[in-house]
Formats: sequence, C-alpha cells, structure tokens
Amino acid sequence: MRGIVLEWKKEKRTGILPAFLGGGILAGAVPLANMAFRSEMYLKQYTPWMQVSRTPFAILLDANWQMMAMLNMLLVVTGACLLYHTEYADNGLQKMRTLPLWEGTCFLGKTVLLFFLSLLLLAIEAGAIAFCAGHWFEGAMEGISAWLELGLYFGYAFLRMVPCILLSLLVAEACRNMWISLGIGVLCLFTATLLPAQVMSSGKIQFLAFFPFAMPFRMTTDMEGILENVAGGMWDLYAAAIWAAVLVLAGWLYRKGRRAWA
Amino acid sequence: MNFLTLVGMELRKTRRCGIGYILLAATVILWVPSILHIDLNFGMEAEGISPEHNFFIQGFLAMTWFLFPASMVAGCVLLGQTERTNRGILRMLTLPVDTVRLCLAKFAVLLVLAAVQILMMTGMYYISALIGSEIRDYNFVLPFWFVAGQTGGLFLSSIPMIAFFWMLSVWIRTPIFSIGLGLASIVPSVLVINTKLWFAYPMAYPLFVVTAQYGRLAANLDTAQVEWVPWIPVAVAVTAACLGIACYRFGREERI
Repeated sequence: MRGIVLEWKKEKRTGILPAFLGGGILAGAVPLANMAFRSEMYLKQYTPWMQVSRTPFAILLDANWQMMAMLNMLLVVTGACLLYHTEYADNGLQKMRTLPLWEGTCFLGKTVLLFFLSLLLLAIEAGAIAFCAGHWFEGAMEGISAWLELGLYFGYAFLRMVPCILLSLLVAEACRNMWISLGIGVLCLFTATLLPAQVMSSGKIQFLAFFPFAMPFRMTTDMEGILENVAGGMWDLYAAAIWAAVLVLAGWLYRKGRRAWA
Repeated sequence: MNFLTLVGMELRKTRRCGIGYILLAATVILWVPSILHIDLNFGMEAEGISPEHNFFIQGFLAMTWFLFPASMVAGCVLLGQTERTNRGILRMLTLPVDTVRLCLAKFAVLLVLAAVQILMMTGMYYISALIGSEIRDYNFVLPFWFVAGQTGGLFLSSIPMIAFFWMLSVWIRTPIFSIGLGLASIVPSVLVINTKLWFAYPMAYPLFVVTAQYGRLAANLDTAQVEWVPWIPVAVAVTAACLGIACYRFGREERI
C-alpha cells in the first residue's frame, strides 16, 4: 500500500493522469465520430425484429474496437516508459534501492498504478459506447442488464490488457534509455498488428494469438460465449493468468540477477 | 562552427544509442511474414496487380502506416533525451554555437535516422524478394530504379511529418505529452488519406504516397492521386512552421 502511495506521489507532476484522461476521451470520440458521421451504415445492421440480429454493443465494438485498442496500447506503452523514465532520469532508482524497501515494491506500485489508469481509460471508453448505444439504438441501454453486459465486456478487455501492461513495465524497467523501451514497445505493437485474425485461426501458428500485445485487440461481444465458455471464450483469460504469473516471476528473477551481477 | 561538423558531432553522440538494432529488428519482423505468406501475392487478380508489385507495395504499406512514423517518434525521444541525463545539453548551450543551427543539426540527424530505416527496409526487401523468388521460382525482384524512386519519394514525403514530430518533442517538455501526441496522431492517418483534406495532415503523407502508388500499379483499384498544387505549398509551409517553432523553442527552457 505504501508503495502505491509513493508511486502516485512520484507521478503527480509527470502528467500521466491527464494523458490517460485525454487518451480515454480521444478513444471514446472514435465511436462517437463514427456514429455521428455514418450512423446509417451501422444502424442497418441492427434488426431486432429478426432472430439473428446483432446486438448494438457487437455492432459498435466491431466497428471501433481496433482503433480504440490501438490507442489504449499506445498509452500503456508510453505510460510504462514514462513511469520508469522518472526513475532513471536522475538516478532515482539507485536512491530507491538504498531505502529499506523490498525492491519489488517499486514494480508492484507502478503496476497497480497503471492498472488503475487503464481501468479509468476503459471506463471512459465504456461510457462512450454506452452513450452511443443509448443515443442511436433505441432501447439498447434499458435496464440494468445492459450495463452489466457492457461491464463484463470491458472487464474482460481489461484482463486481456494485463499481460501487455506487465510486459511493458518489465521492458521499461530493464532499459535505462527511454527510446529503447519505447522502440521495443512500438515493435511489439507493430508485430501484433501484423498478425491478422485469419492467420491466427488457421492452426499452425495459433499460439501467436496469445502474444501479449495481440490479445488486447480482440473484443468479445458475446455474453453467453464468455459465461459458458463456448468455443474457448475463456482462453484469453487463462492465457492472461499464465502470462501474468510468468512475467511477475521473470521480473523477480531479473531483479535477483541484476543485483548479483551489477 | 560548420553546419556539417555539427551534424557529424550529433551523429557521433548517437553512436552507442542502440536505436539501429531496433530499426533493424523492425524491418526483419516486417518482411518475415511477407515471405511466409508469399503465396497470397498470386491471388490478386481482382485488384489487377502483378505479384512482384504486390509483394513490394504490401511491405511498404505495412511500414508506412504505423512502424515508420512510430520509429521516428522514438528517434525524437532519443535526440531529446540523450543529453538530458547529466545535463549534457547545458554544456552544449554554453558553447559558442548558434542554437538554431544546433536544433537544425539535430533535425538533420533525425532525417539520417529516417533514411537509415528506409535503406534497411529496401535492403531487407531485396533479400526477401530474392528468397521469395527462390521459393516460388518466380522473379519477385523489381528493377533498382523503380525501387529507388519509390523509396526516395517516401523519404521526401516524410520530411514534414518528421518536422512535426521534432517540433512536438522540442516544444512540449513533458515527455508523455510529446510522445503520446506523436503516437496518437499516427492512428487517424488511415482515415485521413481517404478524405479530400489529406494534404493538411503531414502524418498521412507517407501513407498517402504509398497508397497512391498502389492505385497506380493495380489496374482495377482507384486510389486518390497526388495533386501537386495544394500539396507542395502546404507541405513546405508546414515544414517551415514546425522547424521555425522548434528552433525558436530549442534550449529556451534551459536558459531561464
């Protein structure tokens, strides 16, 4: 707890909170702009009188999630670089190490901080989606169940982001120079965009779908699919849990090793 | 001091920065999937583009839409931060060197980085085209002058974009805002190239140039073509304005 408060105090004047707020508003503006300029394109996909109609959430998220996810990832990578940049810029990390604190406190604090910021980001985006659904699709946001459904989708989206957040922070911790960690982040993100959906589902290199930077680009818009694990709807969740365990362990080993050799 | 000496000095500072490895890794990651999916190049009858042209243009499209601009943002961070540690920039500013020239020298280094990335990209293109030709027994290698013209055009069209990123990194001292704004401004370029006002958005120039070339090579595909009249004056004005602001702001914060 102390570590989190400490980290928050450090980041107060770096502008990370306004950056995430601004990023959230920008990402939230994507579906709004899409609906404002060409709503008829999306509204004609919505046919509630037919049995096979798609839900408003599915239409909105399919149309906009790729771009929103890209903005989220860029913010996460930049945020992670910045969180460690403040440590390296004036040798703050060296001073941290002389304190009677467990070395992992710093990483843990930054992780929790970035989790909170990402949740804030996703909450703004969920609000934008809810507004679009309520404003353009009649009766889409009526009742508590619609909000629960949206919460479930974005909660799942957050869990998909966890490995990426951890990996970005780990890279940022390992690299003293910000452009290296930023470059690696950009590279990973670019690799993820090179993995089109049909390649990932074609069998041979399916494991690439669980590359930490590729996972946040997926969005489930099928509540039954998640809850009843239809067609492996929970795979990303298991993958995220495994990644989180592996990355935390890798960070712990890295810190041990760095102390032994440095 | 001679401007070229300044540029050489700035280049020497970036010698051990390690950005070269990242640029190289980027080009390798870019072309490996193209070799793996080389068969896809033969199914392009609908677009009416020949396999070798498709191979070339798809690789460059993938590069210009995100990787190249994002690498340039990372390059700006590199130039801004190398001298931040241990306050090297203060020492530079005490030298009897004009700050405007210093700023322009750093911008020239950024252009060198862009050129290096494009050259690596081209080199890797030739290697993967040769490998692809071996695999499929079909000549994927395009003539040198065609490729040189394309990559040269790409480089020239990216100068306003790089100037804009450089202005951001000099002007906005809080790193998260300069990086965040730079990276976020790349994302909408996909939408901007399809509008009539593409020439007002410097981040979209490289992607627009490659997309326009795609349309010219593919017989059945119509993409917007370059219109020189609004574009060149706007591009020159944007570059001049960005560089002007960057030079005006350069070192100002340290001198207060």
